[in-house]
Amino acid sequence: MINDAPVSRHRDLSERTLGVLLLLPAALLLLGIVVYPIATLLWNSLHTVDQANPQAGESWAGFANYTRAFADDRFWHASWNTVLYIVVTVPGALLLGLGLALLANQPFRVKWPVRLGLLLPWALPLVFAGLIFRWFFEYNTGVVNDWLVALGFEPMQWLSSPTLAFIAIAIAIIWKASSFMALMLLAGLQTIPKSLYEAAEVDGASKWQQFREITLPMLRPAIFVALIFRTITAVQTFDIPYAMTGGGPGDSTETLAMYIHKTTLDFLDFGYGSALATLMFIISMAATSGYLRYTRRSASRSGED
Amino acid sequence: MKTWKILLAAALGAAFAANASAQQTTLRIFTGGQQRPDVMRKIADEYQKRNPNVKVEVEVGGATSEAQQQYLSTVMSSKDSVLDLVLIDVIRPAQWAAQGWAEPLDSYLGADKAKMLPAYLKAYADANQVGGKLVALPYFADSQFLYYRKDLLEKYKRPVPKTWDEMMETAKIIMDGEKSPQLQGFTTAGAPIEGTVCTYLVPLWGAGSELTKGGKLNLDTPQAKQPFQLYGRMKQAGVLPKNIAEIATDRIRIDMQAGNLIFGMSWGYVWNRLENDADSKVKGKIGVAQLPHDQGGKSATCIGGWQVAVSAFSKHKQEAVKFARYLSSAEVSKMQAIMASHLPVFPSVYKDPEVLKANPWFALALPVVETAKARPVSPQYPRVSDIIRGNMNAYLAGTKTTDVALSDMKSRLAPLFR
Repeated sequence: MINDAPVSRHRDLSERTLGVLLLLPAALLLLGIVVYPIATLLWNSLHTVDQANPQAGESWAGFANYTRAFADDRFWHASWNTVLYIVVTVPGALLLGLGLALLANQPFRVKWPVRLGLLLPWALPLVFAGLIFRWFFEYNTGVVNDWLVALGFEPMQWLSSPTLAFIAIAIAIIWKASSFMALMLLAGLQTIPKSLYEAAEVDGASKWQQFREITLPMLRPAIFVALIFRTITAVQTFDIPYAMTGGGPGDSTETLAMYIHKTTLDFLDFGYGSALATLMFIISMAATSGYLRYTRRSASRSGED
Repeated sequence: MKTWKILLAAALGAAFAANASAQQTTLRIFTGGQQRPDVMRKIADEYQKRNPNVKVEVEVGGATSEAQQQYLSTVMSSKDSVLDLVLIDVIRPAQWAAQGWAEPLDSYLGADKAKMLPAYLKAYADANQVGGKLVALPYFADSQFLYYRKDLLEKYKRPVPKTWDEMMETAKIIMDGEKSPQLQGFTTAGAPIEGTVCTYLVPLWGAGSELTKGGKLNLDTPQAKQPFQLYGRMKQAGVLPKNIAEIATDRIRIDMQAGNLIFGMSWGYVWNRLENDADSKVKGKIGVAQLPHDQGGKSATCIGGWQVAVSAFSKHKQEAVKFARYLSSAEVSKMQAIMASHLPVFPSVYKDPEVLKANPWFALALPVVETAKARPVSPQYPRVSDIIRGNMNAYLAGTKTTDVALSDMKSRLAPLFR
């Protein structure tokens, strides 16, 4: 008993060392691929790093890159577009995704074709989805105008009118994003015990009442997780408008992510591009923290019940 | 005893092989997917045959100039030595020089430089020198041409148009006569892509003006409005398709090839597709001419084409320059002309009988290429291009008026040309 304490302390120590050693590779990996790039981004955003003008050198810029963004019409315009995409495609994808999930949750005898149909849009790379929809919406050769003409309407310039291009892009994003929403919601739906519906059936509740009183409340955690994921990806909207319009006409459908890409990779202005990226991160945090606060509040309220 | 001898022989053999490979240099050259990497490979094979100690690897990248540059920006700004030579677009030398990505070639060429440069088409000798330094060597030439339907012009007894107004009039007469809803009068690039910069510049030049003068922005002239007004008139007359703001480079070729276009402004690759593709409906019906100009102006066209630059981070610069000189020789220009129909960078090669046999239209191409002008030279060219094409595209889409597009263009370009 007397000798026991030092031995255990010794063992504790070596176990802790072992633990640290085992964690070290993962920690180093994280440091290399997460912490280092983020630190570089922040450093760049506070410096003048303009590779198109290398004579200027890399000098401390303070918050000049940030004040430049606030005075830059194109930044505000791109941010506004991004907000519009969030406001339209997040609820759009949620509603469509919920519908698909409810459909897929029906007791089909053969489940896999429905599930596969749900998975396919999600498995398709974003830029392919963008290209496919661009072909759909092309003026001369697109299937959408073909239908319009067949129905006796005039063909529309989907990709060269700012409003129509926004609608076309939003449709493509909602189609692409709804399958991921549906997958998450389907997982949520399957955790709801059947007995609840059976009990409601006995009590004489209608299908709509069952949906409102059982399905929606039980699905709420899944909905929130799905909304957070969708909102974060909506803030980063890039591939689909890039493939469909390249930001055109002019820069009327350009998103913040596209402007960052252009500033950094085409104009090689790494300092300004990094500041824009930091601002986008802040927008993303602001959007998701809203959800998190709401979930926390509703969780504590349900705890009180 | 026998085994021992075999082992010794094997060891000696390996040592020799190692020694030989130590003397061998591997050069890696980057080319875009649209610049016929297969032909580059054949040229490299020929070079390897003559220089057994050099091995050339051909790396193939993005289809568009922008996609290539995005990849190259990553490689070059991290000072990676993986590439020894790079094919760059004719709009890039100033940027590559400013960034220090291209090794200046002057000291490697020495006295040969003065002998080499005058042999090239003048526009290419100029395009590759920035601030008196030779940044790259021309690999092949290109420019925009006016492609037209010879058969339709003959049918309506119209001459090949010299001015924009003549072209519009002819297009209108043919469209009214043919009464085909598919048939379009004229197209050029209108989408927000690099080619749309030329859509603005060509009529500006054709009106006798320039975007910059002595390094300063020169858009306060009456001619600066001319390109917008020209396309506005064409759109109103129905000569320009309604969806002009969606048109990207290859769409012009596709419409022409399907027989749906009377006049098209596009690059040199179009001719061979129109003449040789199995599904072409216009074989033998296509003419090539200088681009139209304004009354009293002169024809001009946008210079295109690809240059060989030696990477400043290469570990084999001496060998790389030697290979670059071979790639930029009249011999390779001729090989490319025959194998890939790439326009030569030497005026003399256009008149070579073997080249003309493979490409009879090169006789027509030379006078056009000789009118080629450079897009504004600036290390900030990507920004310049973005501003011009963005405003041109917005005007063509109808979201900006002439005055708004021009004043936006001026206010954004001004800080870049001070």
